[in-house]
Amino acid sequence: MTAGSLDTKSRLAAILLSIAVAVVLGGCVVLSTGANPLSVYLEIVKGAFAGRGLAETLARCVPLVGMALAVAIALRAGLVNLGGDGQMLVGGLAAVLVALYLPVPGPARAALALIAAMGAGGLYAWIAAILQLGLAIPFLIASLLMSYIARGVTSYLVRYPLRDPATGMPETHRVLSSARLPNAILDLPISMGMVIMAVVAIAVIVNDRSGVNGFEWRITGLNPRFAQYSGTNLPRQTQRVAFLSGALAGLAGALLILGQQYRFTDGALLAPGYTWSGLMAAVLAMASPVATVVVSVFFAALQVGGFAMERTLGLPAVLTWVLQALIILCLAARPVLFRKRRT
Amino acid sequence: MTLLQMKGITKRFGSLVANDGVSLSVNGGEIHAVMGENGAGKSTLMNILYGLLKPDAGEILIDGKAMDFSSPLGAIAAGVGMVHQTFRQFPNLTVWENLVFHNEPGNGPFVSADAARDFVRHLGKKHGLEIDPDSRVRDLAVGIRQRLEILKALSRQARILVLDEPTAVLTPQERDSLFAAMRHLAAQGMALVLVTHKIPEVVAVTDRITVMRDGRLSGTLITRETSEAEIIRAMIGRNVPPTVAPKMTPTAEPMLAVRNLSVRKGDIAVVDNVSFDVRPGEIVGIAGVSGNGQPQLISAVTGLEAATGEVVVAGRDVSGLSIAQRRSAGISYVPEDRHLTGTAPAASIAENIVFGRHRGAAASKRGFLRKEAIRAQARRLIEQFRVKAASEQVPVGSLSGGNMQKVVIAREIEHGAPLIVIEEPTRGVDVGAIEFIHKTLIAERDKGRAILVVSSDLTELLALSDRILVMFEGRINAGLTGSDMNENTIGTWMMGGVQGT
Repeated sequence: MTAGSLDTKSRLAAILLSIAVAVVLGGCVVLSTGANPLSVYLEIVKGAFAGRGLAETLARCVPLVGMALAVAIALRAGLVNLGGDGQMLVGGLAAVLVALYLPVPGPARAALALIAAMGAGGLYAWIAAILQLGLAIPFLIASLLMSYIARGVTSYLVRYPLRDPATGMPETHRVLSSARLPNAILDLPISMGMVIMAVVAIAVIVNDRSGVNGFEWRITGLNPRFAQYSGTNLPRQTQRVAFLSGALAGLAGALLILGQQYRFTDGALLAPGYTWSGLMAAVLAMASPVATVVVSVFFAALQVGGFAMERTLGLPAVLTWVLQALIILCLAARPVLFRKRRT
Repeated sequence: MTLLQMKGITKRFGSLVANDGVSLSVNGGEIHAVMGENGAGKSTLMNILYGLLKPDAGEILIDGKAMDFSSPLGAIAAGVGMVHQTFRQFPNLTVWENLVFHNEPGNGPFVSADAARDFVRHLGKKHGLEIDPDSRVRDLAVGIRQRLEILKALSRQARILVLDEPTAVLTPQERDSLFAAMRHLAAQGMALVLVTHKIPEVVAVTDRITVMRDGRLSGTLITRETSEAEIIRAMIGRNVPPTVAPKMTPTAEPMLAVRNLSVRKGDIAVVDNVSFDVRPGEIVGIAGVSGNGQPQLISAVTGLEAATGEVVVAGRDVSGLSIAQRRSAGISYVPEDRHLTGTAPAASIAENIVFGRHRGAAASKRGFLRKEAIRAQARRLIEQFRVKAASEQVPVGSLSGGNMQKVVIAREIEHGAPLIVIEEPTRGVDVGAIEFIHKTLIAERDKGRAILVVSSDLTELLALSDRILVMFEGRINAGLTGSDMNENTIGTWMMGGVQGT
């Protein structure tokens, strides 16, 4: 029922063209270092999908899809959530606290840890929404700046009160293996995190396509005045969407901790830059949930492939970041200059 | 003596031919109307004349010399001036500052304010368009601001002056004084082009009429020798009978009762203690010069804006309720601006029609949309309101103004609310759609709905309303019925009502 499949098609064409141009430009960058672009790209593809690469790519998809969808659902409703870092941190911290200290059996700890993480991430984003609604601080700014607070506070907590003195690192104790999320279900290389994220992604997509709420959010994103005029309670909706967006970011943090890192190490959640990759993916997909998932998987593969390429060819993996950024730049470019000259 | 000639102008936008071999010639001393429905190509033609667009074919001659404008600067240098619908002015600066901007008199880096003031006074006197050079533009009435806009064009030695829908924002009195000024300018040998779709104005002030339809020239008429019917036929290719509402005075309990309603912006009451009723089976029109509180009054009634006082809909006090609650209490609302408020232009027609009612049982089930039902409803309404659209799935923003307006009106009428509040029912809508919309509103009234109309088009208010309320500086200062409902009386009240006509 959306505004016509034609739009989606031309959008897809634009994305593919941007990727092509970015690959060529990235190739030029590689060429300038004296390496062979073809072998670089070949190593990236092999690294992302061959052998252990595939499992690694899928593992990286979990947080990336989560962070991308967190941005996308907010963006769809007209909110720019730049606070993914902070929401992921408080979510991760809540998860590790529950998993470490709540006196219930292991699996229940894991489940409650996930819920706590979503609650914490959601509330953290909700505060930013309240700052916008009550004090007119733009959500974009509030959410971004609150990340620095979260960073400082979690860093202090894991360095002092929560620190595991057995390691030399600023990090908490390890979560008991009974409270971790299984990394293989039925002996398949599919982790619990992947299953949860897949369910979340499907829920977001279905809600966007057919849900009453998704419809309301999308129309609000397209024209908030129209939504308000038609009776939508915008402040309430802003709070809800912010909460859900933050909850998704918190969940991504919890899945990383309970499924991959097993403890909260200062800086470990943010180092790979999931928030910003996710933001790029959501922007590239123009907040369409399906496209967001597809682009996130693509970025995950690109990043994993980049690391593999670094190992085999010795070229820095940041090349894949260059590629990601180039793709976005190409897509954002509009031939304004030429148009102006014509008239 | 032909001052301006445009020959065989053709302009394409992709597959759309906006101007197809259009010719226009205007003599010095002549007031020439360019008429046509929305989308007929008037704006394109004028933008080409003003150097904003380059024609694909055809030529522009001024004084017999071929011109090639690459930008408005070229057009201005050749003596073309344009008065746009929206004024390009600095509201916080004075009249003289606005007028000499970019052309300041003075020595070296200093502007000579005295020289500029003299310049304004001199220019005003010469053309019968006097303005106090020291007033702030934001404090001026719309008619005076328009006068400033004309002076701006004249100060750049314009000999050809294009006025784009200049009367849309004016009171009848301001309009008459504009026409007087136009005649004065024509008498001095200037060529004036009046772009409009209001036939009475064309008859009142112009010498010749160029009518456009679907990008083509459909006729050049001499005003003295033509008739309204002939102009309409040239515009839309068939006859349109004027819509006239049979007036009646219902006595039922009011559907909408407004009591002591006020809206404050800082210290100023933009709506000041307003009370009125609208009864079932009645259309009440609100007239007023723009900026006298009409939109704020409507926002206060519909709940978009906070207000003090009472709004009672169908016997229920809705003053403290949200927009959604007021809507379910019985208000339908067609807002002034269909792009900004009335639709989400990027969403489809079906989505725009269902939105607001999408939580109802007809459109959703257990939190999921019933897409097929939603589309079927949209298809039915497209058919019923004769909306020209490829399907119910195209973005509503891709429709023409008239069709978009029909979508909004269809949605609001479909809600079945007993009270319809409608702002500017036909602004920017073509003649065919105007007729359809007016008939629809009158039919809804005859079914017993109460309708409140705000319009800046007096002709429209007179055609629709059973009663007319006039707003001035936030107050309703007149309620007119019967023979008092005429342009002169309304116009006097629009100006404050003190000075007699």
